Parts: sequence; C-alpha cells; structure tokens
Amino acid sequence: MTYQHIGKDFTPPDIFGKVTGKAKYAEDFTADGMCYARLLVSPMPHARVKKLDLKAALAMDGVFGVLTADNLPPVEAPNGGILTNEPVFIGDPILAVAAVDEKTAEDAISRIDIELEPLPFTVNPTDSLRPAGPNAREEGNIYAGSPPQVGELHWRQDEVERFLAGGQPSAEAPIEWQYGDLEASFDNAAVILTESFVTTGYAHMSMEPRSVMSYWENGKCFVYGSTQSQSFIIPFLAPMVGVAPENLVYVSEYCGGGFGSKIFPYPIMALPAHFAKKLGRPVMLRITREEEYYIGSARVGFQGWIKAGFAADGRVSAVDLYIVQDLGPKRAGGDASSAGGAVSILYQPEALRLRSVPVLTNTTPRGAQRGPGQNQIAAIFEPMMDKAAQELGLDRVAIRRINAPDSNAKLNADQGPVTSAHMAEALDLGAKRWNWAEKAKRSGRRKGSKVTGIGIGQGYHAAGTSGFDGLVRITPDGKIHLHSGVGNLGTYSYASTTRAAAEALKCDWSQCEIVHGRSAAHLPWSSYQAGSVTIFTHTRANHVAALDAVAKLKEVAAAALGGQAGDYDIDGQRVFHRNRASRALSYGEAAAKAIEMGGKYSGDEVPEDIHDVTKRAVAGIAGTGLVGVAKDSLPMRGTVPGFAIGFVEIELDVETGKHEIIDYLAVGECGTVVHPLGLANQLRGGGVWGFGMATTERHVYDPQNGLPANVGFYQCKPPTYLDVPSNMDWAAADIPDPDNPVGARGIGEPAMGCAVAAVMCALSDALGGHLFNRTPVTPDVILSHIAGLPPTSGPLAINTF
Amino acid sequence: MEIVRYREDVWGREVLLGVSWDLLWLVIAASFILIMVHAAVMLARKSGPRPSPDGERLSRHAALDRWFHWITAASFFVLLATGVLPIVGVKFPWLTIHWVAGIVLTAAIVFHIVRSLFWKDLASVWIKPSDLAELTGGSAVPLPGKYSLAQKGMHMAMAVLVLIAVGTGIALLAQIDTPWWARSNFLSEAALGWMFLLHGLSTLALIGFAALHLYFTARPEKQFYLRSMVTGWVSRSELAAHHDPARWTPDAVASGDTTVEAPSALGADAR
Amino acid sequence: MSAYDVMPDIELYQPATVEDATELAARLKGKAWLLAGGQDTYGWLKDRAKTTEAMIDLKGIDALKGIREIPGGVEIGALTTLTEITRHPLIGERYSLLREAAAVVASPQIRNMGTLGGNLCQDTRCWYYRRGLSCYRAGGNICYADSPAGMNREHALFGASRCVAVSPSDTATALSALEATMIVTSRRGSREVPVDDFFVGPDVDIVNMTALADDEVLASVRLPDHWANADFHFEKVADRNVWDFALVSIAAALRMRDGRIESARFVCGGVACVPYRLPAVEQAVVGKPRSESTGEQAARLASRGAEPLNHNQFKAPLMENLVRRALRGKA
Repeated sequence: MTYQHIGKDFTPPDIFGKVTGKAKYAEDFTADGMCYARLLVSPMPHARVKKLDLKAALAMDGVFGVLTADNLPPVEAPNGGILTNEPVFIGDPILAVAAVDEKTAEDAISRIDIELEPLPFTVNPTDSLRPAGPNAREEGNIYAGSPPQVGELHWRQDEVERFLAGGQPSAEAPIEWQYGDLEASFDNAAVILTESFVTTGYAHMSMEPRSVMSYWENGKCFVYGSTQSQSFIIPFLAPMVGVAPENLVYVSEYCGGGFGSKIFPYPIMALPAHFAKKLGRPVMLRITREEEYYIGSARVGFQGWIKAGFAADGRVSAVDLYIVQDLGPKRAGGDASSAGGAVSILYQPEALRLRSVPVLTNTTPRGAQRGPGQNQIAAIFEPMMDKAAQELGLDRVAIRRINAPDSNAKLNADQGPVTSAHMAEALDLGAKRWNWAEKAKRSGRRKGSKVTGIGIGQGYHAAGTSGFDGLVRITPDGKIHLHSGVGNLGTYSYASTTRAAAEALKCDWSQCEIVHGRSAAHLPWSSYQAGSVTIFTHTRANHVAALDAVAKLKEVAAAALGGQAGDYDIDGQRVFHRNRASRALSYGEAAAKAIEMGGKYSGDEVPEDIHDVTKRAVAGIAGTGLVGVAKDSLPMRGTVPGFAIGFVEIELDVETGKHEIIDYLAVGECGTVVHPLGLANQLRGGGVWGFGMATTERHVYDPQNGLPANVGFYQCKPPTYLDVPSNMDWAAADIPDPDNPVGARGIGEPAMGCAVAAVMCALSDALGGHLFNRTPVTPDVILSHIAGLPPTSGPLAINTF
Repeated sequence: MEIVRYREDVWGREVLLGVSWDLLWLVIAASFILIMVHAAVMLARKSGPRPSPDGERLSRHAALDRWFHWITAASFFVLLATGVLPIVGVKFPWLTIHWVAGIVLTAAIVFHIVRSLFWKDLASVWIKPSDLAELTGGSAVPLPGKYSLAQKGMHMAMAVLVLIAVGTGIALLAQIDTPWWARSNFLSEAALGWMFLLHGLSTLALIGFAALHLYFTARPEKQFYLRSMVTGWVSRSELAAHHDPARWTPDAVASGDTTVEAPSALGADAR
Repeated sequence: MSAYDVMPDIELYQPATVEDATELAARLKGKAWLLAGGQDTYGWLKDRAKTTEAMIDLKGIDALKGIREIPGGVEIGALTTLTEITRHPLIGERYSLLREAAAVVASPQIRNMGTLGGNLCQDTRCWYYRRGLSCYRAGGNICYADSPAGMNREHALFGASRCVAVSPSDTATALSALEATMIVTSRRGSREVPVDDFFVGPDVDIVNMTALADDEVLASVRLPDHWANADFHFEKVADRNVWDFALVSIAAALRMRDGRIESARFVCGGVACVPYRLPAVEQAVVGKPRSESTGEQAARLASRGAEPLNHNQFKAPLMENLVRRALRGKA
C-alpha cells in the first residue's frame, strides 16, 4: 500500500528542544516561592525506625519542614509507600526535608537524629527459601497468589540443595501453568537438554532521574514529572496526591528514559504534592543519580532450571521451566510467566510447563524492564537452541526457522492466537542480508588470541493493545491539531502515531501540529506505553479519531454545500463533492462551519464510550474547531506479537576475556514500518541494551550487609558509544498486520531481547559451544572458564558474582 | 580533648573506633611530670650510704625468669614502637612485625603463667593486706619480703594491662590475614571497636607504667635490681638494706655462674 | 543516610603561582584539598563521603602545565591534561608507552578535563571505600572488601595489608615502567621522588596512596632518557572500552640490544595498591629475544606470590596472559 506519511521519515517537533537544550524536563521547571526537598534514605537493608529527632534540623535557618510516612496515607505491603518507617532496602526513602535550597536541606538531613532497628534481610532468593531463611519483609518472603499478596514459603533443605545443584526442582512453586502433555512430548524428543541458569537484575538506568515538582493553585494540583505516558498517568496519580482527576494538571513534555520504570506514577512522584500542600509552597524534589539507582527500579533476576526436548527434525517438543524470581522487596514479578509465554510463541513447543517462585529480597525494588522475562529467557534459551542444533546436526538459522511462528501460531497457557506472525520471512530476510551462509563459516576462526563467534538471537514481546482514544481538531485557520496523549518516552512515538491520523485525513504534514506533553493542552486518554504497545495501539486510536473527523468533514460539507455526506471525499486539506469538485470546503472553512453547527462537530457533544480524560479534553477544546474523537474499538483478534532477530559477529580475545562486536544486524518483524528512523533507532538502541545485559550490566550486593555496589553510571556499566559498533545495520520484514489500520506492530522490547540472545550465542560459539547460562558474561567469567578456575560464587549466585 | 573516637558502622550507626591518640601525649606528659617530681623529691632527700654489692651473692631471679623478663621486654618495646610510631607519623610496614612480636609476647606470658602457677612461689608477688603498711612509709615500717609493695603493684598492673593488650590483640589478629587464616569480620563492628579501645587504652597505660618502670630501674639506689634481673643475684648487704630476711630467704649462688645466662650487653653493664 | 549531591561550603583558593600554592598548602596543612581536573574530587565532595574546609585550585598555575624537554629527559607538568599528553609529539615519539596509557584513561571527556597529576594522585576505586564507609583507608578499623563474603572482583592480588584496594591509575603503571621521577614541592623546597617510592601500599600508609605529605604538591613528572624510544607495550583490560578502571593493565619497557632484551621493566596495574613491578619477569627476560617462547617462560612468573581474594582469581591468569602479550609484541 502506498502511503503519504506512513513509512516515511519526518522530523519530530521536539527534536529541536533536545538538540538545543531548550527542552524542559521535570527538574527544569520552577515556580514562585519554590523550595527544594531532599530525602533521608535507609542505610540498612531492612529496618524499623525506632527514634526520630527532627529538632536540630527544623531549627535551622532556611528549613521549611519535614515530611515523614506518618504524614502520608498508608499503603498495603508490598506496595511501595512514598516514605516508610519500615525500610526494606538500602536507599528506601524514610523522610524528606524541604529547605530554601538543596544544600540547606542536605545539611538539615545530616543533623537528623534517627535510630533504626535492624531486621533480618537477604539479597539472594534461594537463601530466603531455606528452611530458616530470612524474610525480606516482616509479612513474608514471597509475593504470589491471585490476587497476589505477600506470603511465606520455605523449602526443605534438600529441596534447596537439589535446586542449587541443578537437579530437577521438586519444591513447591506458587505459580504454575501448563499446556500440552509434557511427559509424552519429552518422550518423543530426540535430544533433551537440561540447564540451570542465572540472570541477575540490574538498573533501568533512565538518563533522566525521576525528579518531580509540584504546587497547588486554586484547588488544582500541578505536577511536573517524568513518565513514559502522559494521559495514562492522570487517573493513577490523582488519588496518590489526593485530588480529583479533573483537578490534576500533569506536565511531562519530555521523558529522559523510562524503559518500564516510569509506566505508572511511582510512589516518590506524589511526594512533592503532599509536601507542597503541607508547606503551602511549591516543592521541587530533584532525584540524584544515586537515588535513581535506589528507587529507579531494576530488572527482576532469575535463578532457574530448564529442560527442553527437541524432536529429531529440530522441532521443540517440550519445555519445562522453573524460575525463582528475585523480586526485590516490593510489588513486581510477571517476568517468569512472560518468559514462559515467550518460549511458547517463539518455539511453538507442543507442551510447556512454567513453575515460578517469586521471592522478595532486600535489594532495589524491581519493575518491568524492557522485555521483562522475555529478554532474560532469550539470553538463556537461544544458546540452548544452538546446542540442540549442534546435537541434531542442524544449521542454527534452520532450527529457528523450523520452529518459527507464523500467523497460525499459538501462545501462552491458553494457547491463544496472534494477530499475525512472519518469523520465517524475517529469518530469511536477515540470513540473506547478513550473509549468514558465509559468515557462519567464520565461527571459531582463530586469529592470534582472537576467536570469531557468530550469534543469532530472537526476541519477542506482545506489542499492542486497544481501547484507547484518539483526538484530532481542525481549526478555522486550516491547521490540523493532532492531540496526542502519548508520552514522549524517547522513541518519538508520540509523534509517529499521529501520522496515522494525518494519513487518514490526507493532509500535508506541514499543516499538522502535534499537541502533547501537558494535560492542560487537552489530551485524549492514552495507553500505558509499556510492552511495546504504542505504535500499534495509538496508530489505531489516531486512525479512528481521524476517521471520525473525516466523517464529520463530509457531513459538514453536505450541510454547507448540499447533497449527502457520502457524496463527498477529502484530499489536499479540502472536502469536496466527488462529482462536482467545485463544491468544496477547505479544512479551515469546514472547521468554521463545524463551530457554527456545534454539537458533535465542535466537540460540544461527545461519544459515550470515550474515557473521562478524553471527555474533559474535548470539553476544553469544544467550540474551537471541528473535533474528531473516538475510542479505538477496531477488532483485535489475538495477541499482537513483536519480534526481532539479531545477527552478530564478535571477536573474543581468549587471553583477556574481552570481546569486540564486529558486526550487528537487527531485523524487526513488526508489521508495517511507520517511521523508519524511529524503528532503526529502536533496533539499534535495543541492541545496545542487549549487549549491556549480555556482558556488562548487573547488580552487585554485599551479602554481609545488603549494601549495593552500583550506585553510579560507572559502576553499573551500561555500554558506551565506544563499546558498540559505529554501524549497526537494520532491516524490517515490513509485512502489514491485519489488525492495525496501517499494519504496524510494536518493536521496542524484542529489539533488545534479540541482541542479548545473539551475543550470548556468539560468546558460546566462540568457545566451542560452552553455555555460560548466566548474564552477564563479563571478562572475568570468560577468563575463569578458560583457565579452568573454580566458580568464585556459590551455585546460582545472584547479585553476588 | 577526646578520650574515645567514634565512627559510623556500615549501616550508619555510631560505633567505637578506638582510643583517641591525643591521650598518648597526655600519658607521656603525665609520666614525665611524675618522674620529674619524684626525682626532685629524691634529690632533695639526703640518700644514705648504698649497700655494698660485694660479699655473699644471693639468688633473686632464676635464669629462666630473667630470660622471660628480657624477652617480654624486647617484644614489648617492639610492639610499642611498631604500634605507636605509625600513629605519630613514622611510616613503615609495621603490622607484620607487630603481630609477630605480639605472638612472642603471648608465648612468653603463657610460659610465665604456667611456670608461676606450678613451679614458683605465686604468693611472693601477691599483694597482701600487710603489705599496705608500706604505703605509710617511714622507718617504723617493716621491710618487704622478696618484692616491695611498689614492685608487686607494678607487676600486678603490668600483668593486667598486658593481658588486656594481648587478649584484645589476639582478637584483632583474627581480623587480619596471617599465614594460618584469612581475615574475617567475625566480630561485630561494635565489638571490634571495644577491642580497639581496650587495646589502645591498655597500650597507653603500659606506656605510662613502662616509663615508671624504666625510671625506677635507672634510679641509682635501685640499680642493683636491674643487675639482679641481668645476673640473677643480690648481695647480702643489699638484701639486708631493702628486704626483711625473715620474709625472704634466698639461697646463695655459687660464684662464677652469675653472668653466664644473662644477655651479654646488659650483663656487662651490670658488672 | 542521604544520597548527597550538592557541594558543601568550601573555602576556595585559586593561587596563580606554585609559591602561592605551596604557601597555602603549608598554611592550611591537613585542612586543604588540592584540586586539579576535579574528576576525582567532585564525586567525593558532592557525595560528602569526604569533606574539606578549604580547596586549593591548582588549575590557574601555568607553571604546572605543559611538556618540555629538559637535560636527561622530558618533564611533564602535573596539571597537563591527559588529552594533551596523548597529542604531544615528544611523548608520542619517545615515550609512546605513556601516550598509550593516557589514551585509555576513563573517557574522552574525562581525559579533556583530567590531568596527569590528578590521574596519579587519584584515590582508589574500592566501592566500599567510595561509598564513604569508615574502612581502614578512611581511618577506620575494618575492611569490608576482604572478608569471606566481600565483593572484591576488582581488588588486590598482591601487597594487601588489611586494605585490599588497588591503584586505579593507568598512567602510574606506565610511569613506573618508564622509571619516572616525581618532582614534589612544598614551602620546604622541592624533592625528587622515584616513582617506585611515590606510590605507597597500605602496609606503610593505609590512608594515603602516595608519599605526598599534607603540605606538598606534585609539580611535575620527569621521564628519563634511559627509556626513551625503548620497545614498549601497554594494555588495559577493563569491562568496557571506556570509563572503566583496569581489571589488570600492563606496561612494559624493553631495552633491546642485538635482538635480545638488555633490560626491562614490567609493571601491572589493578593488582596491588601500587603499580606492581614484576621483578622476576624482568630478570627472566634479560638476554632473551622478545618472542612467544620468552613470553611463555616469563608468564609463569608473572603471578607468583599472588594471594587471590574470593572473586579475583581471574587476575592471575590475566596477568600471565598480559606478560605473554607484552613479550609477543604487536600483532
């Protein structure tokens, strides 16, 4: 299909602000009389506040007040409170001090006399599962059930030892689902692989820490924050700050990265509003880099066991997955089920069982991080695919192609359908573009101390949802205002999704203006913008809103120029009679007429089914132009899958344990390409994330005292510009999805999963097929393996290797 | 001036770090003043004629005990130097010498305790109520037995302080790497602070007592004690002048074996 | 506990001459912090992990900057930036070892700001110590890294004495191989300190990494003619190519005669609190050609005497490999 906007590059309007530094992030805002808050955080991994003496701090000049958990609404464990009297990890915020400037606030904090009573703690889930293991919270050590709640689970000592030794786990797992006949499918397998593995957690590392500024004015609460979404935040943040949604003004024009950590409003986000109310003045809470590592969320860690059966033809017959999750101390943890789901779709096994134990630890709180679960399992399972291929004498691309999901693919426990899938085509495209046949021959080639490793990896994540609203407005000056409730999380999807509306309105991009970034700009209800959903979900919402506008344009034209709406068509910012082109209105004229006609045309009447947020937005613009507004009720006949495939060539220096990525290609299988530059950057950026997960990024905790080692960029080791190839190639299958009006599906998370998997496979390939079964594989791990040194940490050590 | 130093433990709680080394200067100054005052008083007081070292030689310290004393003294001063010099700014690799000397001291003390318990007259160093009369001074006071109250007091104080220093030193030794074990943080940080505090306080007190001990050893009227610690004997007239022969009846020693076992340098001096 | 992030109040002095700087250092003895490029300083102070009443900013002292030829070698002012060192022809032509070391320090941005003196005098990166814990190195009485469950992958193999932190400086390793001399100045006058005496281990001074006294300023570094244009090898192995400190680095200077090694200096970084000389390797290679087999023999000596901690055993084979590579020469 030929598009005017879809599949074409464009310049998102916010890019000028980002390049020139004029972009205003949350901490760039000020307000008259604004004061600054700083946090006192827990120095202990688990403790109870016994004594708090604020006198010296409050007596200081320039100190306005202190906020403690006692001043805030209580929360139920393990939900994260804004502040707490029972901190459950080092860095858990206990109180905040507001002062005339940050230095005074910090000075005041240093004068607070606080006494904490230490409580039992753990940084290792399997330690907590031991018969008398420590519980991370007073309420218990696991978070499971339906609905999930904190409970207590301890295994028998022999069950712990068996699990740690890599034996088939038999201990109780609170989460379990299965499809197919596992036993029969294993019986049919020609090759059965059993591996135990660890993927350690690590920080989200959002470039912009989660700073927030708030104030109250005329009963309205103003919040300047940093979130992945814009409109989606309102109904969740409003009760957190104690205000009706209509009285919450939320500004998040830019978001310096969230990666899953800024989906919902996070507890600390509500602190300045409460503090501002108490003090009667605006409060800025600037989160430091160190604090961002405490409260900025992190990936869930896995300690797991996999048994995978392969039929003689290479088909994955059965998979048995057992995953102990390191959840941190608060609410988290769909990762294990998501891992099972990813295996179910990527390899289409006949039978699959997932068992999981979600264990609380006194480490930094976890949350969804780019491919939560899918990417951990990609790092472990894809090298197993290579091992199976080797044992079965199959090519590594071929074994993936044999199992590749197509549009008849099934997934998850319920073996539900997908909207479409074309992994075979994507594998073919990638193998050809990357010249797999030739490059695979370089596998194991030795050049001095360097060995070539060739890797291929696949990533998956569900990538689309529905039911959100779109809103467009045409004003009498002819401008088309594309109201986007989508947040500006760095992918430019807030802009690229509006291209679907421009496409439907057949208008010039120069006539379009994207309205976004602050709730006062009247923005429609939008999705959570996690799970790679935005491009699928909001091209749909924009499309239906634009269709509503088009219908109204035609009706307005018919009303103004006679005839039936059906007689009219649009193009070139005009609505015209199909047979008599002179009977036409410009979009501007039609907008003026719509205002005159009122009712639904001008936004004075709205559809019943749209969200309250959208209703308020429309009310705010009613009477200013022709308003197209609709809820996305288009059909969605299954899970919307997003896939990506990474191809990588590395050179591993066996004398230093270091590797260099020579060449990388990412192939997106994500439907129609909407914004090529955006997609390219998603695939490359996901690649860099994947490289980091595979080889450098990890939590390190001192198990003696629960102390985190990584509280700065240099300790957390995200890959830098000079650690990745300067050219990273990309391609896309570009096969439209039938359930999206422009054919698009999401890509963000698989773009990373395929890269971590590819690098893990390449490292394994360079070392003759040795499976490390853990992330990250750092140079010391490689050197120790080559030198035959015994492992430095206990079995399945997590957070401590 | 602070007496004790504090630090924050790994979780930000205040724990003892150890003694404040400001006290070192206080101890040195106090010892110096005490010695000066005593020396001035003694100078003003007319000293009588000194007893003759000639004549019959009576055994005061067995060779084994003298060896013990000098080994103890040597390790003590090595410990003091290696422990204190780095604190006052003299930088050198002190730790290994320190703990090796500490082990020597410990071994010597164990030897001494065992020997004292089973082979020696423990009562001779034990302070009895009757000894307290010596405090009043004057000619009416009976002469002491083998050891004067001051000597017993010095021994008792040194014994207690050295045992504290050695005991805490052993705990601290367990906190560093040695050829026999790798360090572990088995002591809580609070307990560790107590160990350092007691180690430091006992060291400071030992510096004071050692200064007094050296001073009295060096005093002209008491130099025969130093000689006896080197050579083992006192003369009959020294005994008569300083001790009550009724309360201490040492054996005579055969002439000619007096310096054989003594460390030669000190032995030469003593002659 | 607070995640401090704001500079506390500090009295700032900005002398323009070395004399003024040493005068200030003498007057403020023990109370002043010497500031060069600030790449180590600001983290400490903003985190309030260390504090100071006063700061003497040396950046305004031109006499401490620049690279010049002197009788017997080349002198580099301590305030010369690492980027300048990597670009200066004298260094590139005669002491490429130092150029290579300076070129892999941290990141390009840090090299633009960071100075040679700062790189040499920077404090260790032991993460426990950097957290501001009162460990031995911070004047306390405990080491958290060296205990049965301590996380010590980056820590020392050699010369640990209670503290197991390692030297983080890449240029120190190179300067040790080049047998540099540090010119240290104070109001009391200047003194020359051989590089091997400039860096001190925890056995001698557990709270300082250099022999600089409270009132002293590192003024310059002199590179002797003796090692000019020798055969060199520098390599740094770190987790990432940028920003990370060496897990292990090696600097080797080899004086060749008739195809055989006449004299050599081998120094490893990241394995001890000081740049760690490998005298056994240095002796073993004399009289031998620079070759794979010489490397093979010498490598066995490289990690002799290593006392690994829980998580740093890998450094021993890595040292051996780096010695092997140094003797193999450029591929």
